[in-house]
Amino acid sequence: MIIIGEKINGTIPVVKEAIEKRDAAFIADRAIKQTEAGASFIDVCASTAPEYEIETLKWLMEVVQDATDTPLCIDSPNPRVIEAVFKYASKPGMLNSISEEGDKCEVLLPLMEGNSWEVVGLTCDNNGIPNDLETKMAITKSMVEKAAKFGVTPDRIHIDPCVMALSTENNSLLNFAAEIRAIKALYPTIHVTGAISNISFGLPVRSLLNKTCMAFAIQAGMDSAVMDPMNRDLMGTIYATYALLGKDRHCRKYSKAFRSGQIGPAGK
Amino acid sequence: MSIQEIKILVETGKSKKIAAAVQEALDAGAKAQEILDEMIASMGVVGDKFSTGEIFVPEMLIAAKTMSKGVEVLKPIMAGDSSSSLGTCIMGTVAGDLHDIGKNLVVMMLESSGFEMVDLGVDVPAERFVEAVKENDNVVLVACSGLLTTTMPALKEAVQTIKAALPEMKVIVGGAPVTPEYAQEIGADGYAPDAGSSATKAKEILGLA
Repeated sequence: MIIIGEKINGTIPVVKEAIEKRDAAFIADRAIKQTEAGASFIDVCASTAPEYEIETLKWLMEVVQDATDTPLCIDSPNPRVIEAVFKYASKPGMLNSISEEGDKCEVLLPLMEGNSWEVVGLTCDNNGIPNDLETKMAITKSMVEKAAKFGVTPDRIHIDPCVMALSTENNSLLNFAAEIRAIKALYPTIHVTGAISNISFGLPVRSLLNKTCMAFAIQAGMDSAVMDPMNRDLMGTIYATYALLGKDRHCRKYSKAFRSGQIGPAGK
Repeated sequence: MSIQEIKILVETGKSKKIAAAVQEALDAGAKAQEILDEMIASMGVVGDKFSTGEIFVPEMLIAAKTMSKGVEVLKPIMAGDSSSSLGTCIMGTVAGDLHDIGKNLVVMMLESSGFEMVDLGVDVPAERFVEAVKENDNVVLVACSGLLTTTMPALKEAVQTIKAALPEMKVIVGGAPVTPEYAQEIGADGYAPDAGSSATKAKEILGLA
């Protein structure tokens, strides 16, 4: 499972405060803890007013890169901000994100030519997030084809089919699973990712829904996730699901994760 | 079927039973307006319960759906009687922002409280709000939603564009990153923290509460 650690994001109030105070120690600590918990990428998202976004993101990137070797996932809704800070990355990581909205593909894909950068591709366009599988597949195909022009192969793309809230769409998990399967059927080497916690919006005991959804999504073929790696329960669910699906021979990873204290009761 | 029972059906979201219950109440001599007022009051209760965390999004949705099924029965009787409407409200998520769940919930709650809703969808440019006010009759309120910290400037632009073109128009704002202070700073007339309280706030700023 590829884990994109989501804990350094200016929409989180404590992170917002640390950004305002330029509290490098706080940010570095979050980067180190996420790495220790198993993050494959550390997402950095400034979420400040547009006029400060570039300098804030540059600062976040520097702090995280000083603290860990884990590759960055550079996150902004504005592709020009990602383009502007791209040069500050010390090694290839991930761009978050492209979609068929505006000119995101046109701005970001050229940055990925001739290197090993990866990218998150959201299945939305100028009309928002489509409700139907066909449109999501059409958007996926279009992004993959545009990426190919810059030599970006499907294994460098993480498609996020944008899971909807169960509270407003009763079939949201079933739709999500169907989307994951269809994307994987079309491009077997592509990654499918998602911010699973969207599913539980508007419902009580969100963690129960998040964990169960994670298990079903992995079974459908999701192999990447935007999540909090320090969430032991969710990490435990991932290890357990891989073991249960026969993807963890002799349950070695599951057992090892327990011995190292990564899963199971905290404080071991 | 008493009006009190209709109220309970709406609050508990019994969408399959409501049409028959409303018809029964009408047959028994209840006035359409009276039934409508009770259903609006029920949705007020539903909104409050949602705001306090007693009920959740799907329960609020099914209550609103129940009410709209009840309203369908009343419509032919009340046709042409616009006195029951609080006026038209234009709503949309601001430019650059594609979030629609929160906006849809607010549309639903305002509709359930008696507004005629015109939903402009997501990624709505500031000028489009102004055009929509001019295209529709009896617009009393514009509601703008913004869910991203990065689209808060678009929210500001929307409010200021509306206020520049239509100084008398009331504007209400909301969305996860929005605070009452920010709403005031950008010149909005009101702020609601969630869909449950949006109807109460809307009526309050229009002096209808």
